[in-house]
Amino acid sequence: MTTKTSLLKVILLGDGGVGKSSIMNRYVTNKFDAHLFHTIGVEFLNKDLEVDGHQVTLQIWDTAGQERFRSLRTPFYRGSDCCLLTFSVDDNQSFLNLGNWKKEFIYYADVKEPEKFPFVILGNKLDVTERQVSIEEVQQWCQENGNYPYYETSAKDATNVAVAFEEAVRRVLAMDERTDHLIPTDTVKLHRKPRSAGTCCS
Amino acid sequence: MVHVYNCHPFASQQIVQVEQEPGLFCCGGGALFVVATGGCKVDAYNLEQEGCPLICRFGTMGTVKSIQHSKIGDYLVTIEEKNSSTYLRAYTNWRYQAEEKARVGVRLLGHLLRGASVRGGAQMEIIEIPLSERPIAVACCSVTGDLLVGCENTLILFTLRRQNQQSLQNQCQQNLQGSWSNSQQSASQSQGHQSSSSHNLSVLDFERSVILHITKMTPKQVALCGGYLAVQAELEVLVLKLDASSEPTSLDESSDTSKDDYLEDQADLLLIPRQQELLGDQARNCDISVTIEKTGLEDKGQYTLSYVLFRRFTPEFFQGCSVEETQLHSLQLYPLFTSNQSVSTEEPACLFCFFSLPNAGYLYSLKSGVELLSAYQYPERVQEAVLSDHLLHVITKNALQCFTVRCAAVAARTEDPYIDTTMKACPPNSLQVCALRMQLFIGLRSVCVYGRHVVLLSTVDTEPREEAERSTQRRSLGRRWTISSPKETSPAGNGWNLYVVDTVSPLTLYKEMVEYSRQYAETNPQAQSLQHLLSEAHLLLRAALLQTPGQQQNDDGTSSLQEDAYRQDEGQTAVQTHRQQLEEALRQNCAQLGDCFSRASQKVCHLALPYYRMSGLSVTEVIVRNRPLPSSPHSYGLGFLFYLKHYLLEETEQKLSQESADEVIDIFSRSSPSELLSVCASPSMINVSPARTLRILQHLEDTAGVSVPLTIAMATMVQRLNDLPQYTQLMERHAEMLLVYGFIEEPRLLLHGGGGAPRTHVHPTALSRQLAKSQPGLLVAGMVALHENNKVQLEQADHIFKELGCENCLQVDFWEAMLMASSQETVIQELLFRLASVYIDRLVGTNSESGSSFPCTSQRRRSLKSTDDLINSCSHYGALYPWLIVLCPAHTTSCQHQEELYKLQSLLCGPSLSIGSVQPLLERLSEGTLWGFSLHLLCTTRRGQYDISIEKLLDRCPQAIIAYANHHLQDKNMGLWWQKLLPELCDRTRAAGENSILLAALKETLVVVATETSPAQFLELIPDDGTASYFLPHLLTCTQRHLLA
Repeated sequence: MTTKTSLLKVILLGDGGVGKSSIMNRYVTNKFDAHLFHTIGVEFLNKDLEVDGHQVTLQIWDTAGQERFRSLRTPFYRGSDCCLLTFSVDDNQSFLNLGNWKKEFIYYADVKEPEKFPFVILGNKLDVTERQVSIEEVQQWCQENGNYPYYETSAKDATNVAVAFEEAVRRVLAMDERTDHLIPTDTVKLHRKPRSAGTCCS
Repeated sequence: MVHVYNCHPFASQQIVQVEQEPGLFCCGGGALFVVATGGCKVDAYNLEQEGCPLICRFGTMGTVKSIQHSKIGDYLVTIEEKNSSTYLRAYTNWRYQAEEKARVGVRLLGHLLRGASVRGGAQMEIIEIPLSERPIAVACCSVTGDLLVGCENTLILFTLRRQNQQSLQNQCQQNLQGSWSNSQQSASQSQGHQSSSSHNLSVLDFERSVILHITKMTPKQVALCGGYLAVQAELEVLVLKLDASSEPTSLDESSDTSKDDYLEDQADLLLIPRQQELLGDQARNCDISVTIEKTGLEDKGQYTLSYVLFRRFTPEFFQGCSVEETQLHSLQLYPLFTSNQSVSTEEPACLFCFFSLPNAGYLYSLKSGVELLSAYQYPERVQEAVLSDHLLHVITKNALQCFTVRCAAVAARTEDPYIDTTMKACPPNSLQVCALRMQLFIGLRSVCVYGRHVVLLSTVDTEPREEAERSTQRRSLGRRWTISSPKETSPAGNGWNLYVVDTVSPLTLYKEMVEYSRQYAETNPQAQSLQHLLSEAHLLLRAALLQTPGQQQNDDGTSSLQEDAYRQDEGQTAVQTHRQQLEEALRQNCAQLGDCFSRASQKVCHLALPYYRMSGLSVTEVIVRNRPLPSSPHSYGLGFLFYLKHYLLEETEQKLSQESADEVIDIFSRSSPSELLSVCASPSMINVSPARTLRILQHLEDTAGVSVPLTIAMATMVQRLNDLPQYTQLMERHAEMLLVYGFIEEPRLLLHGGGGAPRTHVHPTALSRQLAKSQPGLLVAGMVALHENNKVQLEQADHIFKELGCENCLQVDFWEAMLMASSQETVIQELLFRLASVYIDRLVGTNSESGSSFPCTSQRRRSLKSTDDLINSCSHYGALYPWLIVLCPAHTTSCQHQEELYKLQSLLCGPSLSIGSVQPLLERLSEGTLWGFSLHLLCTTRRGQYDISIEKLLDRCPQAIIAYANHHLQDKNMGLWWQKLLPELCDRTRAAGENSILLAALKETLVVVATETSPAQFLELIPDDGTASYFLPHLLTCTQRHLLA
């Protein structure tokens, strides 16, 4: 009767104001607040769900997008099972920054095989009429970077949010299945404090 | 041998409604935290409410491998794994996770920035504590909330930091950087101690303060309490003390050198480690070296390290337990505050370290000397053990057992170093521990304790069904074992259960033990078991009393706001009542222990005294309790007699009624007749029936023979019967001197209350009053003897005479007699002064018209000692100088003060009286009378002012001058004959003309001068205008004497 649930850590990255917190809130509490505060540092929420017969606890990590919170968020990339790179379709710069976010994540999460790591790309604020980023542009970027799945979402209208998270779970589970039959050879990873962390609180 | 009393320390059990099989659990702050097996969620249940309802549930960031709750700060600390990495995390503000969907803040240690977490005011926060090594074990300090982490080769100490929201927000607004001020910090810290559930939410953080590198030992468990660190490996335990100090650490070098020899020595003998127990400083000789690494974060404090305890076991095979299974477990540091400590500010007065092997547990006391307090021999293999406030709970596979502990005995002695005296007592620290209960359970896995709640996890999947049923039946037979709903096996038929077993209050357990003790008392009152059980009960009550109101508040300080308010309203009085109940129970217990020891053997019977004293029972009550049953053959116990004797010796104010006093006489005449006399003399016995007692004393005399004190005691009784003739007859049976010896033997025949101790109030006995009337000399002699034998102080004796109303007569006789007897210089000087003042007072008094300055005037009688007596027998009274008799012959003074004058003169003539001290008193006497003049002249003479004396004497009474000069102008003062006296006389005769007195004196003087001087000198001395024929014969004598020489 007790099925072992697995805990999946999914992290939301992207520029400040693209709607990461709203996506998380929409998904977990099914609510939308147009006047949400900036996220400071790192916060998370858990959500239990079943995907393809697998009972999983999704631990969604919401991060602060502003540059000045960099040192507060980067220590927590480590141990992520999936990364949701988020931009806003009405903000071209946020799209252009995706590459930087990916680099930052790979660097701090200490991902062993970055090319195999499951990223999912989210283009949020689909409800806004003035688009700055076209679907084609994004799809091309995804294609070039490692064939990442791309979802256009609206936290406000609840469009595609659940689908995107479920896809993230599927990606992770697919990874696990590939590695499950491998003999776990790696020893315990020591959790080192990143160099920059020590001086960040000023 | 382990005593097993079948008590009922467990009151009820509840089953916690846990959905998934619990893996780990821990308790704290009124809550039970359960982590499902392999899960990443923590369920918090309220332990303090019926049914243990769920408080909240929150997710963790990885699979929890270890979980602990800290009372201070109300945080949880976990060791977690995620993707093969191990993390250390602290969960704070978890109570605000009431709805699971609230966002959880995460920050790194030390990154408490701009109120990241305080935006909403109340958000659960996780502090990630990065470590360079994999954490193996964690422990929280129950006093400071600090955190100790044990890794493979290091121990890392994290100090808890608090910052209240207010200051944090201020800091936020002003965009201030850096750390907050120390004052704020400490203020918030102390506030946090009071109650962490206060509305002014404080935000926690940790500071890495010390890293210890440890060799040759891999920690399995760690413990931390008030600067003490304990590390437990498979078969070793090491306890260290870390002190913050400004001095650099030098210990490492010194310990290294001292260690070397020892190690070599050991290496020769053994290849495998041997059993070792190293206490206190000795522990540094263990082969485990510990070094301090400076973290560099805090340069204000240096740390020094000292070794406290080292224990190593060898993996011996025992009771079906393989070598592999023989491992230490359940390491615990347990603090105890004494009731005169305030918990929040001080470090605990007592600290204990517990650890356990499968077959035995060990409890050490670490403060004021490290010692093994108790060793617990378990009847079967124990899986886990945990020390609670009153008891030690251990679990075996199939039972929860609880043992007694001795912490309260240690605390009692720490609190009051005079506890083992005739005033107070407490069962010894070494009193053998016992098991109070073995309660059957099925498949126990682990245990934890919060206050009176014992939480147990059982899994029955491996156990055959029959056995389970059998034990269920057995359990239902338990007298007080009530099973509360829900039913024992949950509807789902889980193979596991999480029980919360509540222990009964110490008071209830105490009452049960008392009930048991009654059975023992009836069957065999002398049995050791009765004594042991009552002692156990005593320590239980002491332990309960140590949980002072302040501490209880602190214990529960982390519980909900609602409860806090309740506590403030009603808690105070409830706590007060509870304390009174405990104190009353303790008094009862002391009374029972007193009963127990009053019948005990020679070795321990003296304990009856302190226990009866602590019971608050009156002597009469104690006598009643010890009255043998009419049918019972045995007499009074040794302890009871010891108690009674001490009580009667101790001069309390409490007077026994006649009935009780008569009973006491009976008790002693039956059990210990030799004590009868001192019993009779006790002030408590003042109401004893004299006729009855007299008969008993007479009987005693008939059997034991005549003794002086006994005769006096009998006389006392007779006197109380007002039979004066018989009294006189008894007192005349012995010579006065023997009677005095009798008083020395039993001073309480004369006075009550003294006992030789200074500054206590004394009173004369009825006999003293009688003696003052009929035999004052005997009374004075008796008092002097008592003083000289240190049975009474001078002031006390004075007080006696004051009470007898003979301040100015008998008391003066006493002082005079004291002067004769005493050899203590300070006493002598005091007495001389007092007597001189009295004499002067009397002289002044009789001189003045009022004459009423002494109260005794009306009944004045002659002094016991005359001046002659004193001069003859007391060296301080000098013989009167001959010139005094010339100066004031007896007939010139009134007979009324003749005696005083002589005594004062005699004192002034004696060697001891200090003139300087009495001089001011003498000012009161006029020189007008000759006797007054004589006293002043004595003074002047004693001061060596012979010139003035000669002049004065020639002025007032020249006929005494030759007697004076003969007495005083000798040896070195011989010169005064011709230097002073001769010229003075020559002048005066010349002026006065034919004065026969002066001429006679002059003639006498010339005789002396002629004898003492050379002819040349003599010639010089002869006045120029003198008649040659007058001086010639003397010159001739002088020359002839000189020629002869």
